[in-house]
Amino acid sequence: VPRDFAERLSRLVPRSSPLLILLLLTLAAVAGFAAVGHLVARFNANQQSRGRKLYAAGLEDINANRYSNAIAAFRAALTCDPTNSQYQLSLGRALRDSGDPLLLDEAESYLLALWQRAPQDAAINLALARVAARRGDIQDATRYYHNAMYGVWSSDADANRRTVRIELIQFLLKQNAVAKAESELIALASSLPQDPALHLQAARLFDQAQDYAGARAQYEEVLHLGPANSAALSGAGEAAYNLGDYLAAQRYLQRAINANPQDVHSRQLLATTELVLRVDPYRSHISDAERNRRIAAAFAQAGQRLTACAQQLGISLQSSPTPSATPASNTAQPPKSLLALQSSWSAMKPQLPHLRSAAESDLPDSIMDLVFQIEQQTAGQCGAPQGYDLALLLISQKREAAGQ
Amino acid sequence: MSDRLPLPNSPAPSSLAAPRAISSRLFATVESVFQEEVFFLILSVFIGIFSGLAVVCFRLAIDWTHLALLGPLPQTHSWHMLAVPSLVGLVVAVLVMQLFPGVRGSGVNQTKAALYIFNGFIPFRTAVGKFICSALAIGSGQSLGPEDPSLQIGASIASVLGRQLEISREKLRLMAPVGAAAGLAAAFNAPISAVLFVIEEVIGRWSAGILGSVVLSAVSSVVIVRWFLGSEPLFRIPVTTFKRPSELIAYAVLGLAGGLASVAFAKSIGYLRPRLKAMPRWTQYFQPSLAGLIVGLIAFLGAPQVLGAGYDSMDQAMHGQYAWKLLAILALLKILASTVSFVSGAPGGMFAPTLFIGAMLGGAVGGVERIFVPQLTTGSTGTYVLVGMGVLFAGFLRAPMTSVFMVLEVSGNYEIVVPVIVANTFAYLVSRGLQPVPIFDLLTRQDGLSLPSLEEEREETILRVEDAMLPVPDTILNAQDYVDANARRVQDATESAFLVRLHPTGWSTIGRDQLLRLFQEGKGEHKLGSLLPAQGLPSLYPDLPLEAALRPLNNFPLVPVVNRADVHRLEGVVSRDSVFKRYGAR
Repeated sequence: VPRDFAERLSRLVPRSSPLLILLLLTLAAVAGFAAVGHLVARFNANQQSRGRKLYAAGLEDINANRYSNAIAAFRAALTCDPTNSQYQLSLGRALRDSGDPLLLDEAESYLLALWQRAPQDAAINLALARVAARRGDIQDATRYYHNAMYGVWSSDADANRRTVRIELIQFLLKQNAVAKAESELIALASSLPQDPALHLQAARLFDQAQDYAGARAQYEEVLHLGPANSAALSGAGEAAYNLGDYLAAQRYLQRAINANPQDVHSRQLLATTELVLRVDPYRSHISDAERNRRIAAAFAQAGQRLTACAQQLGISLQSSPTPSATPASNTAQPPKSLLALQSSWSAMKPQLPHLRSAAESDLPDSIMDLVFQIEQQTAGQCGAPQGYDLALLLISQKREAAGQ
Repeated sequence: MSDRLPLPNSPAPSSLAAPRAISSRLFATVESVFQEEVFFLILSVFIGIFSGLAVVCFRLAIDWTHLALLGPLPQTHSWHMLAVPSLVGLVVAVLVMQLFPGVRGSGVNQTKAALYIFNGFIPFRTAVGKFICSALAIGSGQSLGPEDPSLQIGASIASVLGRQLEISREKLRLMAPVGAAAGLAAAFNAPISAVLFVIEEVIGRWSAGILGSVVLSAVSSVVIVRWFLGSEPLFRIPVTTFKRPSELIAYAVLGLAGGLASVAFAKSIGYLRPRLKAMPRWTQYFQPSLAGLIVGLIAFLGAPQVLGAGYDSMDQAMHGQYAWKLLAILALLKILASTVSFVSGAPGGMFAPTLFIGAMLGGAVGGVERIFVPQLTTGSTGTYVLVGMGVLFAGFLRAPMTSVFMVLEVSGNYEIVVPVIVANTFAYLVSRGLQPVPIFDLLTRQDGLSLPSLEEEREETILRVEDAMLPVPDTILNAQDYVDANARRVQDATESAFLVRLHPTGWSTIGRDQLLRLFQEGKGEHKLGSLLPAQGLPSLYPDLPLEAALRPLNNFPLVPVVNRADVHRLEGVVSRDSVFKRYGAR
């Protein structure tokens, strides 16, 4: 029947009329175009519907941390709708977050393909930044994080940019790239809105970067917005403590404990802070007698610390380091620095009574220099000190910082 | 304003003269357009459009069948894997045996046979049957590809169109390759590779006669496919790198491995196909079903990647998702799966399986080299996978030019061209050394046909004029000399015919007997040139094919061979004896 129909049809077409042939071919092409277009549209609609279902299933799997199921679902969704950017992005993210390093390359290739089509898209740049971050590639990660920050966000651009910058800072801190992290932190701090939670987050990042001045500024900003914020009081107190501003630290920590009596950390810090303030001979507005008393007490404490440290190391400070000492002796030889300090301490002891003498104006500093040397040396060899010794060590560090 | 006045007898200018002139010029242009040569070119565009539309539908049909029968992502250990390819294989076998007997296999050889044997005739039923049966076979998981069927569908559409328009037999014969190029280009989304493949494998010889039509149809079909299905490449192209020349050693090793794999693949098909065809007719109903069962079993046991064309798996291999051991296993399994699918008579192509095997092999070899010779393998996995595709293409399909351009077209990266050429050359040489007959020629011969092969043509030794050329004769006569002088010169010569130099230029020839007869007739006082025929003797060049000497030697005993740089300089002569002697010595 079709052959018969074709023959009859062909008889209708006069071969001598090329224009008619051309017209008929054009009409046939147009009709074919329309029919195939309709077919493709229906097929695509069907596929897209199927793809949406698979994509939704994949998202559920992601939320339940079933990454391999999610990857399979996203792959299937992509077979239904291969050009769907959202599916590709989700597959890229799932591959990246699956924890399988073999899949990281594939994730990157999906995301790079998307990036080439929309290099300004912030979400794609963020996904690529996280791939680079997983690889520990600081340069690429920073580039993509910056692209994400300055890229196009579909909604809530400011908040998203801030979140990305915070993520970048956390990544840089994790990678020990403190200088880069600090520069990002400064940029972050300058653009923060009046939101205590954000300032508190920024302050903690400054803390992690060991930029205590920046941290204290952020905590104070929080306190400006809410003076009773115990976390900010505690943080500001700790920042002041780390900066050596013990009076401010005492003030903040006291308020922090008042606001939250359960804050054990602040309580410990306050105890140390108050001890520092009590024993610091360099504190202003104390009498000469009190200063001399503190110096003498510090000297005695340093001597005890030296002896205790030697005992902890199992050495005797009584033995003198003479050339006749046999190397094969069972008694452990103390480090030369401890011995030297012991001899300096012993040599200094007879001079203590001269502290009150006006002629010995350099003596307090000499004694305290020795005390600081002993505390630093013993901290290095016998571990972090506690109590009085810790206070002396902190005073020594503050003096050093002030000297620099 | 014109300063010429109208002549008294000239017709008076009318307001209709200008439109008439335009109209007649337009009709003249239209008439010239519809001369057959030009019309053929226009028709090529329509062939491309119709083939493109058909291939779009074909791809949708495969996708739809696959989704309906196996789901979007085939899962291992599912009974679907075993049942679907097997049952659909039975349906396909019934269709092929009962309704569409001409659709078995790939379709490349059928198209070639249409060109050389059947005057371009391919029944429309073939296109319909190929469409339905291939969509079912590939969609149900048989390890075959959609490219070769697309090629045959395109060729069939072109043939039907040519027959309906009653174009000349000469042009009708050329319709099949034009449609084939359109179908293949649309299927592979690669017009250059399609044109080259059709020239290398279908037409079988480099002929500029239809190159324009082939290119036009290929480009128009690709435009149609991209219009409907988008311009996304078949694979996400990985970053490909080639840093150091020493890496070429690694790619050469890949070429050797690819050559061996090609031989294994080709030999297994060459061995099994005639044996299965020779089995009783009733068994042929079950062969595709059995092949489906084997392929399904492979998928069921954990390698669903071998199902169908496998482009998704190639894409994943390209992006380093598989370890080298899995890649090697997949290459072996795909050789097995594609061999059984193809020899069973299920309609489907070899293009995609070849690329799959090459991709997996390339990735595996690259992975092994990275372990043992890391200093030679700085290229990414994707680079090896891409080069591997070209390697199998060159080794198995024996289309070396197409293989290079195919990789370039797919990757869009010219940095990779040197590794591809090096690896393909090794694969081609190994394959040709171990399997002298290319796969398509082997299949043709198994089917009892004899079709021209570009590879054989390339290897054929062409005899040239210089091979039969005799030295410059001692005696050359001069047309300006008198007959008696020339007769005296030939008295002592032994030759029976002599060249005569004409003035100012050209050559003629005269026999000894003829010259002596002129002398005896008392024409000794005449100049020889005045007695010779006006028509000069054609001359030849040393590099011309020896066949070119046969026509002039039919009329003249001797033909001069002259230098191309100086046509006055005689290089030698050819005679009938010297030519026949050369042919006889071949």
